[in-house]
Amino acid sequence: MGDIKPVYLEEKLREVEESGRLDYRSKTLPTWCPGCGYFSIVEAVAASLCELNIPNENAVMVSGIGCSSRFPFFVNTYGFHTLHGRALPVATGVKTANDALTVVAVGGDGDGFAIGGGHVPHAARRNVDITYLLFDNGIYGLTKGQTSPTSAIGFRTPTSPYDNPDRPLNPLMMLLSYGASWVGQAYAGRPDHLHKMITQAMSHRGFSYLHILSPCVTFDKTHRTYSNLGVQVRDLPADHDPSDRLAALREAMHDETPALGLYFREERPTLGDALDGLVEKAGGEVAAKATAKPARKARR
Amino acid sequence: MAETAKSARHHVVVGSGVAGFQAAETLRERDPDSRITILTLSRLLFYKRYDLPKVFRGSRDWREFLVHPAEFYRDRRIGMRRASHVANVDSRRKVITLDHKEEIRFDTLLVASGGRAYLPEELAEFRPLMHNFGSYEDAITMAKALPERGHAIMLGGDMIGLDLARTLIDTQHRVTLVAGPHTFWPHEVGESERPALVATLEKMGIEVIEGADTGGIASIEQGARGFSARRVLFKDGTEIAGDVVMPFFGLMPSVEFMLGSGVDIERGLLVSPGLRTTDESIYAAGDVCQIWSDAERRYRFYYGWKNVRAMGDLAARNITGSSDPWVPAQDEKLHISGDGRIQSPFWEYE
Amino acid sequence: MATDIQISIVGSAGDGTIAAGEILRSALAGMGYKVISFDVYPPEIRGFGKCIARMRITTEQAYSLKNKSDVLISLDDSHAIPHAGEVRECGAVIYERGSIVQLPEGGHISAHIGPGQLPYPVPIRELSEKSTGANRSRNIVVLGFLAGLLSLPAEAFRKAIGRKFKSKAAAAEASEAAFKAGLDLAAQTFKLDDVMFGPPVSTVVAGATVEMINGNAAVVRGALDAGIDTFFGYPITPATSIMERLASEMPKRGARLLQTEDEISAISATIGAGFAGARAATSTSGPGLALMAEMLGLGVIAEVPSVVFVSQRGGPSTGMPTKTEQSDLHMAVYGGHGDAPRIVIAPTNVDGCYRCGGKAFEMAEAYQTPVIVLLDLYLSNRYETVVFPSRPPFEADCNRKPGKLQAGEQYKRFALTGDLISPRAIPGEKGGMHVITGLEHNELGRPNDQAQMHEAMSRKRHEKLKAALRHPDFTHYKRFGDEGQVDVGLISWGSTFGECLEAMYKARGEGIRCAAMKVVMLSPFPTHGVAAFMNDCKQVLVPELNYQGQFANLLQAHVAKPVTRLNRVPGEPMKVEDILEEIRRLAGRGKTAQKAA
Repeated sequence: MGDIKPVYLEEKLREVEESGRLDYRSKTLPTWCPGCGYFSIVEAVAASLCELNIPNENAVMVSGIGCSSRFPFFVNTYGFHTLHGRALPVATGVKTANDALTVVAVGGDGDGFAIGGGHVPHAARRNVDITYLLFDNGIYGLTKGQTSPTSAIGFRTPTSPYDNPDRPLNPLMMLLSYGASWVGQAYAGRPDHLHKMITQAMSHRGFSYLHILSPCVTFDKTHRTYSNLGVQVRDLPADHDPSDRLAALREAMHDETPALGLYFREERPTLGDALDGLVEKAGGEVAAKATAKPARKARR
Repeated sequence: MAETAKSARHHVVVGSGVAGFQAAETLRERDPDSRITILTLSRLLFYKRYDLPKVFRGSRDWREFLVHPAEFYRDRRIGMRRASHVANVDSRRKVITLDHKEEIRFDTLLVASGGRAYLPEELAEFRPLMHNFGSYEDAITMAKALPERGHAIMLGGDMIGLDLARTLIDTQHRVTLVAGPHTFWPHEVGESERPALVATLEKMGIEVIEGADTGGIASIEQGARGFSARRVLFKDGTEIAGDVVMPFFGLMPSVEFMLGSGVDIERGLLVSPGLRTTDESIYAAGDVCQIWSDAERRYRFYYGWKNVRAMGDLAARNITGSSDPWVPAQDEKLHISGDGRIQSPFWEYE
Repeated sequence: MATDIQISIVGSAGDGTIAAGEILRSALAGMGYKVISFDVYPPEIRGFGKCIARMRITTEQAYSLKNKSDVLISLDDSHAIPHAGEVRECGAVIYERGSIVQLPEGGHISAHIGPGQLPYPVPIRELSEKSTGANRSRNIVVLGFLAGLLSLPAEAFRKAIGRKFKSKAAAAEASEAAFKAGLDLAAQTFKLDDVMFGPPVSTVVAGATVEMINGNAAVVRGALDAGIDTFFGYPITPATSIMERLASEMPKRGARLLQTEDEISAISATIGAGFAGARAATSTSGPGLALMAEMLGLGVIAEVPSVVFVSQRGGPSTGMPTKTEQSDLHMAVYGGHGDAPRIVIAPTNVDGCYRCGGKAFEMAEAYQTPVIVLLDLYLSNRYETVVFPSRPPFEADCNRKPGKLQAGEQYKRFALTGDLISPRAIPGEKGGMHVITGLEHNELGRPNDQAQMHEAMSRKRHEKLKAALRHPDFTHYKRFGDEGQVDVGLISWGSTFGECLEAMYKARGEGIRCAAMKVVMLSPFPTHGVAAFMNDCKQVLVPELNYQGQFANLLQAHVAKPVTRLNRVPGEPMKVEDILEEIRRLAGRGKTAQKAA
């Protein structure tokens, strides 16, 4: 431990303003509970958009329904707050219509793996060039605290008053086997790492899945708390090879001690590439990607 | 078809000419609950074959020749299996096999398949160049081939041909008859009667060539383009030219499909005076059968519309319980009427 | 001589029944006849299911198929036998003369040919084997025979065969030989001359093209001509062929199609693409539309353009996937939760499928809402000759674009304008950033559930659609038949309108004053025009293919004058005779009265 430098609020504010990150925040204040892990996610996304220098109008946030899905309202980009479970197919539609857009799908564990679970494998295997930020708090927060597909066995909630009997899903293993071309894990309690991971995920060409662990400070006082998570999380081993899918699966198996970092990454043609390939095969003209603004137009 | 219960008797009639149709009508009257099926080669319902010469008087539509409309068959529940070829009759199993391998069970069978135009073997090779007149289709085809005021050459004759000749003459056509032993078939005409009859034909306007029948014909040829369509060349070196050549050598019973049935056949099916064949469930009527004549001590044919209809009726009555004997319905003599025209009882029909 | 001939070809899957129908249609349309056609496929993919290709060939425009066919061709007696009774008096039945297996009595179609019908036995198999060495060309042999029987020009058939097998030289050659074998046999067959073709009447306008096309293909053509950018779909009978055809055509124009994991995903992606500015569509049938209901509600409240082609089939549930019905009107118009007004248009013929197929995109953009184009199995699979104009009659862009924002001004995606249609910014547009949501919202799009706001926005979503009732170059409804006061007026929708027109014209022939109105725009409902028509009618008859009278219910919700309903659910098109009988009854002409007349 070296010298501790005092941090002055004005300096911090100036630094934030100068960074340009605020341009990516909307004037709507988040509706989340004080202390919610999601605040750090919205901050990290704004920082990543800024860092990657993505024009506000070229970014689209697509969400489902849930606490996390309120996210689009809090960033200054285009946004679509859709239906419970449907963020991925809507995002697929947006991206298919306009490759030039940076499309981020956001949603919670219930949204993504209960009601919307059927869409995840298909977005992953098609390698839709979008980023999926999965906010996993292991609970249905918006409806005031029922069990979710990632709730632990024994978790007691109003819909499981005699404790949750169901085994939780392992989303990382699922995504790795579904064929996602970028799979990583972050923790809302480590905002700097989270920001780095989001930047990487958004830079990846293809379907990037970032699993973000976060506590629900209001409805979960027993399991996924800051104190528990703080102890449980670890870094991926330094020698982990992100091109090794089997190694990634092995690491993902240890969900009692979640490892943070990049599990897996591969370069392969995206859905857009594949669809352009079909156009070429059919003898059509591929719309110019760089200038697909405001939207690509088919030849009539 | 098959509207009645399976247990009902199934009467099958082969042939939809005068005999077959009359039989079906009588069968329906006398056995209301039975199933009746007519099997016929024809694609049309029962029609007036005797009226076919009318094609030269402007009647060309097949509907004008129908005796009854389709409702008649529906109302009477008479099944009409048209364009059906009977391949075999198994009298032991009581099963008819059609040539498309469909099997039809019968309780009683009436064979009324009639006869078809007989063609002497010497002329067989010229068949494609000749026109028949036995069916509606034949009649229309022939009528289309014969132009207005055209020339028809008839070989043989016979009463069907002579009837057609009358109409052709009346409708301003030219008819040449190459006469021979079949000229007045089925009338039996003695040597002494013949000259007067031939003279009557000539008086009618028919050009008669005697003594050059089958044996005298060397060949039939297609005419040169722009000239007459047909030429008939005789062995004596002479020839005649016309638009159509028509063979009229009487009828031959259609019995081939009965060869495996086990019933007795001579030229036609041999039947008792009650019109039963040698199988107790099979009867025959019309031009296809030879009826035992006690008087003449032989099986013989009876021709003519009235006779044929009476046979159909009698067979149907005997199938349904009667046991009446055959009585001819008309005489068989050829007359020359007071005004010098030839009159055959076989031309009398309703 | 006017031509009006209906031909049915019935066979088993694998007999080439539908292919024979295609060639026949293509040949006849090529000669200049008007053709209306409806094929029936088996639910099974392969095997022994029944296939029917049925078409009506006319010189004047026909509106429906006739109850009776003039010619029935059997390629499989077991399937054709039940249809023998559908041949009119003096109509022809063409069938296989022989059999390779022993048949029980009645096992051959000749046993079922009525006394009034004309049998044409043909050694189909034998001719196919002799001419091509295989029995696979039986369907072409019968076409040759038919061409000869009806004295149709063989050249038109040869061209149609050439088009059908353009990339398969061996098949084309075999078909040519089989066709000739059938044609030659017909030349030697005595024709009873009852089914007769008159010369075709050419109606082709300069620059336009005439094509033989079915409802699904026409919808596709409309969508392509309107510049469809993206399509997301999931296979379902009877809409699948829309997707299949688009899959082959869209990439040729640089457009994108994706087969999604389910119908929910299909409509979600469609609405996502619509949000991103694309002309986006999906297609489905009743079961899929049920799954899409929630997302369509989002499209309504978030005001996103999208187009859904729905081909109805027999329901409820899996129902009768290969049978036609018009029982999804309630769901199309009212389906889903909340007050969710949307545009529903239902073409009545194949030409209408083309127009609705394109116009739907204009409307979706112009009124910023989902547009459902409602077809039914009969219309989807029915072939008609359609005249396509030389230039697509569709606008390329109907978006209302936002102007430049003043400094400090915030873009209001849901601005309450005079006509309640708000200028729409599209992702990628500078300064237009906004969030749309399924939550009730204010003009900015921010969640807001205040009473006043919900009232204002509900009104916006409903009232803005009124403009669609004046959408340019679109037939919202149309009256046919007698002008002025009539004894009986028919009002119908979708494919059944064809049968209504036919019945109406027949009734007029019997001296009944009669008119018929088709209603293409079902939502919003063109109350004014329909009510005006009903005022002219002493009696109003509403025939439709559903049990509940779904269109009559919709109609009665807008116009109080009572109507007589004619509801049938046979799984097949309504019979013209049934409608005619009802018209006579309403006009006070019983059967006896009619006979006396």
